[in-house]
Amino acid sequence: MIEISGVRVVYGPGAPPALDDVTLQIAAGECVALVGPSGSGKTTLLRSLNGTVAIAGGSIHVDNVEVAQLRGRALRRLRTRLAMIAQQHDLVDRLTVVQNVMAGALGRWSTPHALRFLIAPTAAELAEARAALTAVGIPEKLRSRTNELSGGQRQRVAIARALVQHPTAILADEPIASLDPELGEQIVRLLCDLARERNLALLCSLHQVEFARRYFDRVVALVGGRVA
Amino acid sequence: MIDAFTNLLRLVGSFFPPDLSAAYLRALLVPIAQTIGMAAAGMLIAFVLGVPLAVAIATRAPGHRLIVAALSALRAIPDLTLAILAVVVVGLGPAAGIVALALFYSAMVGRVYGDLFAAADAAPLEALRATGASRIAIAAYGLIPLTLPDLLTFGTYAFECAMRASIIVGAVGGGGIGTELAGTLSTLDFHRALTLVIVLVALVAGVDAFGILARRNPRLVLLLLPVGLISLWLYRPQIFAFAHAVHTFATMFPPHLRASQIASLPLLIAQTLAIAVGGTLLGALLAFPASLVAARRIVPFAVAVAVRRVFDVARAIPELVFGLILIVTVGIGPLAGALALGLHSAGVLGKLYAESLENVPAAPIDALAATGARRLPIVAFGFLPLALGPLVVHTLFRLEWNVRAATVVGLIGAGGIGQALYQAQQLFFYQQMLAYVLVTWGLVALSDWFGERLRLRLGWNFVAA
Ligand SMILES: Nc1ncnc2c1ncn2[C@@H]1O[C@H](COP(=O)(O)OP(=O)(O)OP(=O)(O)O)[C@@H](O)[C@H]1O
Ligand SMILES: [Mg+2]
Repeated sequence: MIEISGVRVVYGPGAPPALDDVTLQIAAGECVALVGPSGSGKTTLLRSLNGTVAIAGGSIHVDNVEVAQLRGRALRRLRTRLAMIAQQHDLVDRLTVVQNVMAGALGRWSTPHALRFLIAPTAAELAEARAALTAVGIPEKLRSRTNELSGGQRQRVAIARALVQHPTAILADEPIASLDPELGEQIVRLLCDLARERNLALLCSLHQVEFARRYFDRVVALVGGRVA
Repeated sequence: MIDAFTNLLRLVGSFFPPDLSAAYLRALLVPIAQTIGMAAAGMLIAFVLGVPLAVAIATRAPGHRLIVAALSALRAIPDLTLAILAVVVVGLGPAAGIVALALFYSAMVGRVYGDLFAAADAAPLEALRATGASRIAIAAYGLIPLTLPDLLTFGTYAFECAMRASIIVGAVGGGGIGTELAGTLSTLDFHRALTLVIVLVALVAGVDAFGILARRNPRLVLLLLPVGLISLWLYRPQIFAFAHAVHTFATMFPPHLRASQIASLPLLIAQTLAIAVGGTLLGALLAFPASLVAARRIVPFAVAVAVRRVFDVARAIPELVFGLILIVTVGIGPLAGALALGLHSAGVLGKLYAESLENVPAAPIDALAATGARRLPIVAFGFLPLALGPLVVHTLFRLEWNVRAATVVGLIGAGGIGQALYQAQQLFFYQQMLAYVLVTWGLVALSDWFGERLRLRLGWNFVAA
C-alpha cells in the first residue's frame, strides 16, 4: 500500500519543482500506469518512493511507514520491499543469470551469506532462482551468461530479480523503452499479470498510452510535475 | 618471531626523526636542483626527438615500421640498465643521467604519442590531407590539437616517471638526490635518508600538481624549455666528450660470458622472474582491499582521499629506494627485492584499481542498491564483476613492468640478472656487462610480447601504456 500526498521535489535552489503537489494512492494488487512527456517527473516520482530522491514537501507512506524519516538500516529494509525495474542496462553482465536473479535477495541476506552464495549456492537458492525464472517465462536461461541474453530476456531477468525480493510493490521506470512494440507489450502484460497474481502494487512509467489503457487499472498523467 | 618483529620496528624507528636541520636542507639544494634539471633536460630531449618520431609513425612516413621496431626495442631496456650503460660511456654525473633519461623517454614518448596520434579522429585529418598539407602542417593543425588533452596527461605522467627515474639513475652515480640517498644509506645515516625520501615524495607530488595545472593551462609546459636548456648547458662538457664515449663503447664488444656464467643464467633469470611475480602478487594483495576503501563510490569521500594519499606516497617512492631501505631491515636477497616491488606496486595498483572501481557504469550499481543490499554485497555482486577486466589488465601491465623493475633492484643485492650486470660493471668487465644487458633486454622484450598476446587473447587490451 503506497500513499503519496502533496509531494514536492526541487532539485536545486531556484530550479522549478520537478514534482508539485502530487497526490496518489496505490493499493495492493493494483496496477497503475504513469504517463507524461519527457521531463514531466516520472523518474523523480519513482525514485522518491524508495528514498533515492529527497522530497521537499508532503509525505510518502509505504505500508504505513513514512519514507522521509528512514535512515540506514530502516531505509534498506524499506528498499527490500520496493522492487525497482529500470531500462535494460541494470544487470551485471559478468555475473550469471542465476546470480543476477538472486541479487534480489541481497536485502535480506547477511554479508557472509551473500559472499557464500557467489562461491557455493545451495540447492534451495537455485530452486528459488528457477521458480522466479519460470514465473517470467525463461526457465531455460538458468545456466546462461547474462551477456548472451536478448533485450526482452534481460527485462525478464530484471523482473525475476524483483520477484526474488518478495516485494510489496514493483516500481518500473520505462521498462520497455528500448524494446520493440511487440516485445514491450509482452513485458507489460507479464508485469501486470504478476502483480495481480501476487497481490503487489505496481507503478509503471510508460510512453505508450495505448498499452497503459489496455492493461492497467488506472492511468495517471504527469505534466510539468503535476498530476493532470 | 616477536623478537624479529621488535627488531623490525626498531629498525624502522631508527629512520625517525628525519634530519630537518637548516644546514642539511641547505646542502640538499644542489642535489634537488640537479634532480629536477636532469628530469627536465631528459624530458626536453625526449619531446624534441619523440614527437617527430610519433608524427612519422602516425602519418606512415617511409620507414615507420622500422622506427616502431627500434623504439620498442629501446623501451625494453630498463631505465637503470640504460643508466649503467650511460655512466660507463659518459662518465659519472648528471650528464649520464640526462642521456639515460633522454633515450628511455624518447622511446616512450615516440611510441605512446604515435599510438595517440593514430587513434585521433580521422575526419578532420582527411580534410587536412585533402588540402595537400605537409606532414608538419598535419601535425601542427591536426594531430597535436586533436589529441592535446591526452598528450598532456601522458606527458605529465612521463615527467613524473622521469623524476622518479632520475633518482634511480642517481643511485648508480648519475648525480642528484639518488646519489645522495645511496650515500646516506651506505653510511647508515638513516635520519638523512628519511629526509631524502620525504623530499622525493614532495617532488613527485609537485610534478603531479604541475600536471593538473598544465592540463588547465597548456602553456605552462613551456617552462620545461628554460629549465631543461639551463641544465643541458651546465652539464654540457661531459655530454659532448664524444671521443671518450665512442672509445668506451667499443670496449664492450663483443659481448662475452664464460661457460660457468652461461650455466648460471637460468638460475639468474628464474630469480629475476620470481622477484617480479612475488612483487606483483604482494602488490595486488595489498592494493586490492585498500582500493575498496579508496573508491569514492564505495566509501565516504574523506576516507577515500585519505587512503589515496597513502597510495601517492607508496607510488612516489621508486622500487629501488624501497629496496635500499629494505636491505638494511631484512638483509640482501630476493626477498628484499620482492618486498620492494610489492610496496611500490601496491601504491600504483591501489590507485588504478580504485579508479577502475569508480568507472563502472551507474545503472547496475543503482539497481543493486535499490534492492536494499549492504555495502560489501554490492561490491561483490556489482563493482567487482563490472571492473574485472580493467583490474586484470592493470595487474598484467604491472607484472610486465615488474620484470624490468626486478632487474633494477638486482643492483642493490636482490639477486638475479640485475645483480650480475651491476657486478660486471663495478669490476669493469664491460664485455660481460654487455652480455647481461642483452639478456635483460631479451627477457623484458619477451615478457612484453607475452603480456600483449595474453591481453589480446583476453580481449582486454584497452588500457594505454
Ligand atoms: N538529478 C537531477 N538534478 C537536477 N535536475 C533533475 C535531476 N533529475 C531530473 N531533473 C529534472 O527534473 C525534471 C523531471 O525529470 P524526470 O527525470 O523525473 O522526468 P521524466 O518524466 O522521467 O522524463 P523522461 O521521460 O525523459 O525520462 C526535469 O526537468 C529534469 O531536468
Ligand atoms: Mg525518466
